[in-house]
Order: sequence, then structure tokens, then C-alpha cells
Amino acid sequence: MKKNKSLLWLFALILVLSAFLAACGGDDNGSSSDDSEKKEETETETESTAEGEPQTGGTLVYGIDAPPEGLFSSAFYGIATDAEVIALFDEPLIDYNENLEPVPNVASWETEDNKVFTFTFEEGVKWHNGEELTVNDWVFALETIADPDYDGPRYSNVQTIEGAEAFRNGEADTISGIEVVSDYEIKITFDEARVNNLTNLWAYPLPEAAMGDIPVAEMSASEFVITNPIGIGPFKVDKIVQGESVEFSKFEDYWNGDVNLDKIVLRVIDNSSVVGALQNNDVDMISLQPVSGPEVEPLENVEITTYPGLSYYYVGFKLGKFDSESQTITEENPKYQDKQLRQAMMYALNRQEWVDAFFFGYANVVNAPVPSSHWNAADNSELNTYEYDPEKAKTLLDEAGYVDQNGDGFREDPNGDEFVVKFSHYATGNPTFEARAQAITQYWEEVGLKTELEMVEVNLYYDMVEKDDPSIETFFGGWGTGADPDPSGLWKADQLWNYPRYNNPEADKLLDDALDIEIVGTDQDKRTDLYIEWQKIVNEEVPMLYIAELEEIVALNNRVGGVEYDVSGQNNPAEWFVTE
Amino acid sequence: MLKYSIRRLLGMIPMLILISVVVFSLAKLMPGDSLSGEIDPNNTNPEYIAEMREKLGYNDPLPVQYWNWITGFVQGDFGKSTKYKRPAFDVIMEKVPNTLFLGIMSLIITYILAFMMGMYSGRKPYTIGDNAIAGINYVMLAIPSFVAAVFAIYFFAFNLNWFPFGGSVDILVETGSAEYYLSRLHHVLLPALVLGAMSTASYTQFLRNDIIENSRKDFVRTARAKGTPMKKIYNVHILRNSIIPLVTFLGFDFAALIGGAIITETIFTYPGIGMLFLDSVTNRDYPTLMALTMLLSFLTLAGNLIADLLYGIVDPRIRLE
Repeated sequence: MKKNKSLLWLFALILVLSAFLAACGGDDNGSSSDDSEKKEETETETESTAEGEPQTGGTLVYGIDAPPEGLFSSAFYGIATDAEVIALFDEPLIDYNENLEPVPNVASWETEDNKVFTFTFEEGVKWHNGEELTVNDWVFALETIADPDYDGPRYSNVQTIEGAEAFRNGEADTISGIEVVSDYEIKITFDEARVNNLTNLWAYPLPEAAMGDIPVAEMSASEFVITNPIGIGPFKVDKIVQGESVEFSKFEDYWNGDVNLDKIVLRVIDNSSVVGALQNNDVDMISLQPVSGPEVEPLENVEITTYPGLSYYYVGFKLGKFDSESQTITEENPKYQDKQLRQAMMYALNRQEWVDAFFFGYANVVNAPVPSSHWNAADNSELNTYEYDPEKAKTLLDEAGYVDQNGDGFREDPNGDEFVVKFSHYATGNPTFEARAQAITQYWEEVGLKTELEMVEVNLYYDMVEKDDPSIETFFGGWGTGADPDPSGLWKADQLWNYPRYNNPEADKLLDDALDIEIVGTDQDKRTDLYIEWQKIVNEEVPMLYIAELEEIVALNNRVGGVEYDVSGQNNPAEWFVTE
Repeated sequence: MLKYSIRRLLGMIPMLILISVVVFSLAKLMPGDSLSGEIDPNNTNPEYIAEMREKLGYNDPLPVQYWNWITGFVQGDFGKSTKYKRPAFDVIMEKVPNTLFLGIMSLIITYILAFMMGMYSGRKPYTIGDNAIAGINYVMLAIPSFVAAVFAIYFFAFNLNWFPFGGSVDILVETGSAEYYLSRLHHVLLPALVLGAMSTASYTQFLRNDIIENSRKDFVRTARAKGTPMKKIYNVHILRNSIIPLVTFLGFDFAALIGGAIITETIFTYPGIGMLFLDSVTNRDYPTLMALTMLLSFLTLAGNLIADLLYGIVDPRIRLE
């Protein structure tokens, strides 16, 4: 009898396992249509309420698709995922509006010369530990970042304050450019007048009462960063389960209006589960990868919102070599110096088709290296839009002397030597990267340019690009730009991150002028004109082929309301609400 | 046995030193370093990266870097994770409970399934049941774990709602309460099932073959001649003899328990050592990477030692001196 029982068990198990296998192949259609019907009923009710008046209470589940590193402090975080978590419980002193212009948040400011700024803080702003926020917390943050033991990446945002360098070198006990007037008023003097002093300045305070006793070198590993972070935002951190979830609850003493939600639960959700979790109402809001978009669109309980992103993809040419000692471009690579060749390669690309195929429509073609939502972006009417035109590409190549002389179907260079474009793209585990790189090489081959593709492991890739490795000739890349739209750091001839090694003193002059307060004063239109002038040059010269700017995609469950996005990101989480 | 153990433990030291040299050189030979992934104009600038390279000692010659690392290591200072900016030891220890829990659960599942299937197959070799078990086992072994994991989530978590689709615990329950431990168990079951049920093949087949082999031995015939019931012969006499080869596996399992399961952990967002290890490699987080490799090497060596010692316990005929 006993024997039979164990046999029965075994067969039951086998049955379960084979049912699991059968489920892999078969009838998912049947079951999922059942599901969507059920949801349709509930959906019609919720949509009407979610559109209406904000409701209080409830818990919102906020998803992210990559685990955070866990450095939950504005001064110490390193990756965007951590920044996303911080944005739920902390906020900056100065915010940005939909045109990416600074607007007062906790602090408002006055300046006459763009050198000396007087900031006035709101009174009665509370930290999550009950202490009141004063200007001293900001001074504490600035001095922490300027400390020689500080191990985060923000020093460049403090460097421009007068005396920061001396403080960092240990020559002074305080930063001389910071003058505390009262608990709510502070005067900051920069080392010189610049138009972007304010946008560059580090505008997050740190809780001095809590963190003041911790040596700077140990701060990033302290509890106020890892397990018990403190902010001034509408929600406070209750609990952190490292690498997978964070629980936030409403902060009763929030300074700026009422908070609707009782709780936010942040969960890490692997990309392979995102669609299922959205469909099952297991997550209320999450940023999507473009590839998930087409799968999420048909879901009836979820709505997709897009907003313009601040990043662009490009194909760069290595036009020279950079010497990091002297910070100059020392050599010119002759291969791609011909402007007509570069323009022909641009005309040969069907960028719209490429973007639709690999970004599922969640990206737009760009013609200059400034994302279109920046105030200084040139309108397409002022630029050459390089519409896909293989015939024009061929004509340009013929004119430049790149013609097929030996009849092999591919063009030779003007000297009659074999001409092979070498295209490099980074490789991660993502299988679409090779396909999209291959597509670019095909466009070039169609106009008669023989192209060789090399996929390089991503860490090695950027190392090679940065060090001007001779095997990198044309390369795929992407840049994200921040609130400050000035492209100097990525484009001027003395910059390490000017990867194409584009060297044009006339263009550099325009960029310098646009930042020179003597020339532009505080007149934004004057700056815009200079930037547009600059974009016209790089659009004409194409030291890189501008491909596309990405859109940010967010999936929102229908029960969520009050969430708005613009180019500066999400609105204040205090305004979010859910309907049960 | 004590003398034997001590000798083996001492023998590990040169082995570990050798491993550390090899792994350290391999890690440093990988292109890029922990800062090459940080190229983002919003967040950093070239000056910061250059300064950090200097601070972290990446510009020193390799032997100097190795010496700095190893002297810290033997004194118990595993270094500070370059990614998490915290001591590597803390980062690892934070993930160990999760990984151990998942590892033990999946091992239990593997053992239960393998014992049941192996014993059945061994008793009735070359029957339909035996062939079916072998077939299923090999199919399971052949299915990549990420495919199994994704389908398991789709079927058991999203369609049937039996299990949560990811995470190691529901954050809303109070830590330490009974509910908390139930929640952890609930979260670990699905990944453990995927890991455990997929890897039964080697155990099952080893057990089966050994049972078949032993059932033909003289002592079995003697037992049968004396009238011992077949059930007792199989469950006591043969099984005890057939477990010996499985003990060898246990030695490897020991390190695998801590080593974690990279892909399963990622798909289930179950933060454990496997994910951390992969992460430390892709981010060139040398302190974490080295501490983990040393830990896993040590456990593999220790696991083998334990397996060897267990031989003597399972089978008193084997004597260690």
C-alpha cells in the first residue's frame, strides 16, 4: 500500500511538470483573452474616476526595471536608477520648468551680475527626522562635496564657488564664497560671472543634524545613505529591502501642500515580467524600454504616456587624435576629412526606417546634437534635414572622387585605393544591437561604400573610443544631456569627451561666446542665436551623423491619476493619487 | 581523521594564493575599469574620473596593486566596493541569506525529486516508467533556465496567481513576524522549483545506475535467500550503498549553494550572490569580485574536504588517514 502511494505521488509530480511544459507551448491565447475581458469591466469604472478629483489614501506601486545600487543620497548616488528613487523622497532647492529654466522651489534667488547670488529659503521646511531645514544644511552639503575625502562625482557643481578650490586643498576651513546671512538667507559668490552659474550649482541640501558627525570618507557607507535616507520630499523612506524594494509613506509635515497617497511601494521588476505585471495590476507605473511598448499598448488597464527625452544617438567619425596631457587635438586622421563623404554617408541612411524598426516609433530623427526640447535647439527649418536620398549620396560621392574604378561594385577612394568604412558598435547581451548596426552598414553598402562591422564589448569599446584607438574609425554612440543645454563639454576641441575630435575654432568660438556674460549678458535670445549658429555649422559639417533622440515611455495603470510629465521629468509625487 | 583534515586545510593555502594571483590578473586584464562605465556628462566629468583612478590606485603597476589588495585581504579588509561605495564584505553578507535560502530550498527539491525518481527507475529499469523518467530528466536539463523561469512566472504567477512573480519578500509585512517568514517562503518557492526541478538529471541517473548495479551484487542475493522483504533490501541495503557517489556531488553543491544562480536570480529579481557576482564582473568592481571569487574557491575546496570526510561516515569501509 505504501509503495503505491509513493508511486501515485510520482505520477502526480510528472503530471504537474508536463502540464507546465504544455503551458509553455499551447493555449495562452485562451486564458489571456479571458483576463482582458475581466479587466475591461473594471477599467470602465476606474478610468472615469482616475480622471476626476484627486483622492487621498491608497498605495501606489512604482516599478523600476533595474536594481538600484542603494546610494540613496543626492550627493552620493552614481546612477540614474538611484536618482529615480531619490526623486520620490527628496527634492532640490531649485527646480526646472518645462523649458528647462530654473524656477524657485524651496529657495528663491536674486542676482544682479550673475556672480553674487542671494538665496532665500522657505521657512518651516522639515526634514524627515523632524529637524528644520536651514541654509546651514546646504552649506553642509556644499562643504561635504568640496571635501578632499568626498568620493562622489559632484565636485564640478561646487568648483565654481569662490574659494572652493582652496577649501579642497586644505588651505581654508570654509569656502570663502559662501556667506550665511541668517537661517533662511545665504549669499553665494562665484569665482567669475557666468550665464550658467545657477544651473551648474549643486542645489540639494544634506541633513547636517543627522550626518554632521560622520567623517566625509565614511558618509557614502553610512545609514543615512544606505538604510535610512532622509530627505525633504513628500514621502519618507520606511523600509528598504536592498536590491528589490523600498517602502515610502506620506510625510505629514511636508512643506509644499497636501500629499494624496498614503504609501508608495517601489519594486524592481525584471524586463521579462514587466508586461505581465502591468496586465495583472501588480504595478501601477513604470518606465518602459521601447521594445516593450508594442506589447503594452494593447493592454486595456494600462495607458502609455511619452515625453521627450534628453538623449541622442549618433554615428561619429574619428577625425583626429586627442592628447589628454595638453588637452589638444594633436593629429588629424585623413580618412574621413572630406565633408562630402560624410554628408553622403548621412544621405545614405534611412534614419526614419531605422528608428521605426529598432525603437518602435519611440524616437525621433534629429539633425543636430541638441535634443529638440532644449530652448536653444534649432528648428529643423534652419537645418539641413538630410532626408533619405541614396541618389544624392551617390552624386556626392562621385563629385568627391569616390568612384568604382575596378568594377567590384564598391567605390575606391580618390587615389584609386580600396576604400572600406570600418564601423564599430558596442556589444552587450542585447541581441538587437548587432542587427541595428548591421542595418547601418547595409545603407552604406547600398550607395557603394564597402563597410565592415565590428562589435566590441561595451567596456572595451568606450575605452577604445576615448583613447582614439586606431581600430575605431566610425563608431556608434549616445549622449544624454542635462538641464543645462550647453554642449561645450562634448564638443569643444579641448574636451576629452569630444570623441569625434572635431576641431573647428569658429564653432568653439560660438560656444564660448554663448557662455560669455560680456557678450550675451542675461539675454537668453542672444544665447539662442549663437547656439543656433553653432548647430548650423555642425549640421553642415557632420562630424557625426545625428541619428535620433529617444522618447521616455511610461506605463500608467488606469487607477493612477495626477501624474504629469514634461521634459524635466515627473511632477511632484505629492500630487499623485490612486482610485481603488 | 583530524590529522587528515588539518593536512588538507593547510594544503589549501598555496592553492588559494595561486587562485588569487590568477583571478586578480584576469580581472585586471579585462578591458576597462570600474570607472569606464561612468561616462555620462550629466553626472561626472573627465577630471573626476581621472582623479578617482588615481585615488583607487589604478595607475599603480599591477604587482603593487596586487600586494596592496592581498595585504588588506589577509588582515580581513576586503576593500570597498567601487560600485556600492561600501565594504565589499557587507555587500556580500547582505546577499548571502537570500542565496543560501534559495540554494537550500532548490537542493531539497532536487533531492526529493531525484530520490523518488531514481529509486523508482533503479527498481524497475528498462520499463516505460524508467524511460519516461529519463526522458523528462534530460528534457529538463536541456531547457535553458531563463526559458523555464519566464514560463514559470507566466504560468504560475500571472495566470494562476499561486506565487509572486519576483522579489524575495513582500516589503509591507513586518520584518521578523511569522507572516514575514511565510512571505519569504512563498517568494522563494517558485525560483527554487525552477532551479531544483530542472537539475535532477544527474542525481536521478547516478542513483538509478547504482541501484541497478548493487541489486546484482552478492549481498543482495544473500539477503533475498534469507527471506528479507524486497522493500527492505532496496530501501536499506541497496540505497545506503548507492548514496556514496551522490556524496561526491554534495561537495560541489556546497559551493553552488552560495554561488547562486545568476539568471534565475535576475529574472525573479531575487537579490543574491549570483546577480552580485555578474554585476561585479560587468562593472569591474574588483574588491567585490575578488572577495567573491576567493569565497567561492574556498567553499569549493572546503566542500570537497567535507565530501571526503562524509565518505567515511556513509561507508565505514572507507578509512581516511
